[in-house]
Amino acid sequence: MYSCSMDIDKEVRPADGRGGAEGAPPARSESPIEFRLDAGSGVPTYLQVVHQVEHALRLGYLKPGDQLPKVRDVVSSLAINPNTVLKAYKELETKGLALGRPGQGTFVQATLSQVTLPELATLRRSLLAWLGTADAAGLDEDGIVALFTSALRDFFERRGGQPGGRGTAGSQSEGVA
Amino acid sequence: MNVIETKGLSKRYRSTWALRDFTMAIPAGHVAALVGPNGAGKTTLLNLVVGLAAPSVGTVTVLGGEPAGSPAALDDIAFVAQDAPLYKNLPVADMLRLTSYLNRRFDDGYARERLSELGIPLKRKAGKLSGGQQAQLALTLALARRPRLLVLDEPLANLDPLARHDFMATVLAAAAETGEGEVGGMSVVLSSHVLAELERVADYLILVSGGQVQVVGEVDGLLARHRVLTGPAGAADRIARRLPVVYVRRAGAQAHLLVRTSGPDEPVPPGWEAHPVSLEELVLSYLREPGAAALPGPARTQKAEPMEVTR
Amino acid sequence: MTTRSTAGPSYRDTRIRPVPWRRLAWVSWRQYRLSAAGLVAFLGVLALYLLIMGLRVRGAYDAAAACSPAAGGPHCQDAFNLFDTRYAATAEVSAFVLNAVPMLAGVFAGAPVLARELEAGTFRFAWTQGAGRTRWALARLALPAVTVTAAAAAFSQLFGWFYYPLFATRDSAFAPQYFQLTGIAFAAWTLAAFAIGALAGVLIRRVVPAMAAAMAAWAGLLLAAVLYLRRHYETPLIAHNSGRGAPGIAPWVISQWWTGPNGKTVTSENEMIAILNHLRRGYAEWTVYQPAARYWHFQLIEAGWLLALALLLIAATIWLVRRRAG
Repeated sequence: MYSCSMDIDKEVRPADGRGGAEGAPPARSESPIEFRLDAGSGVPTYLQVVHQVEHALRLGYLKPGDQLPKVRDVVSSLAINPNTVLKAYKELETKGLALGRPGQGTFVQATLSQVTLPELATLRRSLLAWLGTADAAGLDEDGIVALFTSALRDFFERRGGQPGGRGTAGSQSEGVA
Repeated sequence: MNVIETKGLSKRYRSTWALRDFTMAIPAGHVAALVGPNGAGKTTLLNLVVGLAAPSVGTVTVLGGEPAGSPAALDDIAFVAQDAPLYKNLPVADMLRLTSYLNRRFDDGYARERLSELGIPLKRKAGKLSGGQQAQLALTLALARRPRLLVLDEPLANLDPLARHDFMATVLAAAAETGEGEVGGMSVVLSSHVLAELERVADYLILVSGGQVQVVGEVDGLLARHRVLTGPAGAADRIARRLPVVYVRRAGAQAHLLVRTSGPDEPVPPGWEAHPVSLEELVLSYLREPGAAALPGPARTQKAEPMEVTR
Repeated sequence: MTTRSTAGPSYRDTRIRPVPWRRLAWVSWRQYRLSAAGLVAFLGVLALYLLIMGLRVRGAYDAAAACSPAAGGPHCQDAFNLFDTRYAATAEVSAFVLNAVPMLAGVFAGAPVLARELEAGTFRFAWTQGAGRTRWALARLALPAVTVTAAAAAFSQLFGWFYYPLFATRDSAFAPQYFQLTGIAFAAWTLAAFAIGALAGVLIRRVVPAMAAAMAAWAGLLLAAVLYLRRHYETPLIAHNSGRGAPGIAPWVISQWWTGPNGKTVTSENEMIAILNHLRRGYAEWTVYQPAARYWHFQLIEAGWLLALALLLIAATIWLVRRRAG
């Protein structure tokens, strides 16, 4: 589940500051982040990449102007199809978050605008109220999760390619639990 | 351009047909996986593509119409056969030289750099390398030829998980480097009977079963056009009348149907849940149902499963 | 990380230039090296033996020949007899054994070339390279063929030198057991063995069985030539009552028989003994032979058809390589 704190957490070190582990190899790419793949999650690979970029943007690992990992490096370290990475980067372009410069790479364009704290607080309150109703109706935790996930999916499926979610907090998509 | 195209391709060995009326096209710019059970005809098909075997019936052309096995085809296609054959008593450096002398085009610098990255010593005899190293050596020699098509026959068999990962990483990195989708870029066709890691690696699928082609298409498209409907077993037949059903798993009260839809927006029948399907589940379901097929082209009248026309 | 050494359309050569022969020659040599070394060692050991024996033989012969009076009195005759008995047996055995050399050298050079590729599966590498199968097969076969034939030719010269004294005193180079060891026939038989080996290799696809089959086929061919074919290269002459069998020096006597006064062939032992002791009259001696003068002519004929056979078999081998499905 999401962490409600949207603060940029400067204490969490980004990928290329790996001084903690001794003997860790230096970062090969010039990008501040590296991707990882969760093979068993059921989430399509390209979406995992998209989410990880958005997550990094939210947490401040990536700032506008930073370079996303080169396709070749991602492919080489994760052993995934290059088209998958290209598809993810294209999706990020569509969302306005990144832009590809031919011959140079893909660079971060915009940042995810933060949802303001008061808005967050309101949303949280209404969510807790709903949870109270669900609990009273007899739903247990798993039941609540199942209901929420399916409704979430339906919501964004129906929304489909609506541009309303571009560059905003609404670009959170399904599957990141 | 189609990197491989077959028309009515059939191959007979003595009295058995290894391939029967095999018609398909693989466009360039993909990493295509040739999947099927053992004995399905994958190796036969690849042998025909690289010119090691000749068709009994039908044609196979490569790289936009060149006959398979012709000098132009041999020039631009690199093949790593099963078990990565090498001359075991030759040192690695001599294998490099031999390969460069047998080809018009050979990037010696790339090969040496790769081998040093992999830690494969040039003086050691090829037969004394580990299994993973031999596979990497064979792959390096193939990639150094700068082919437009790389063909791999069961490349990951006999490799430990780390070696498998490194091997595929090399293949995919080479595909990425030459620019996927461009005419001058490198396409990959690899055969496998292991499904687990395929979804990450392949973006084009050819499913072979019993010497015939069962499924052909882009992985994304196939996954978008299939879903599993879960619902009451009693209503399953009603669904089957409306949608092409590939495979049914039925219990007393509940049934799962793998159906083919026109797209992700197709409405879910009321009372049913729709789930996306993984590549592994898709392949297994088709393999369990040999009569089903997902092929581009005119409809085949068989088991009430109308074929969808792609694009 | 890695950059291509050249990029762009110039990298793709649109003309299909064939791979140069020099490079194919290196490939062929690199894979033949070990075989060649074995061949050199094998022939070298035999050559050394021939050299040592040859020097001894010639030494003894010269000593016997220097004996005077040259007319050949009993003392000189003894010397020749001594030479004969001391070296004859060794020489004959050597010659007999050496008959196998063309077979061994040729088959060991020829059979593994393709059989090993097919057995080990490396043909799936070699036949998918840019050079193509035909050029590859030609290069892989031509180099060993030429070298093993040349080595055999040199070896047969050495044999001729070794055996010269014995040819001078007792046997004829034309005789069936020696003919293929001398002149140009030795090299031709070696090339034929190579070609048979190569064809067996591509047909049988396993090194050891291919070698065995090739040796058997070659041995059969040699027997056929020695026992039957060779005497018919030219119609043999028949001598009648020449007094000492066939006329001339060192002819090849194919067969010999006697007829009695009644014209019938003599078969009984008593009559044979009587004839040999010149005790009976009215007996005629018949000899079928090839005169010594025809030796080189026969060598050319034999080498000729062996060469034609070898070329035919190699062509068949290449054709099979082109046709062979993986």
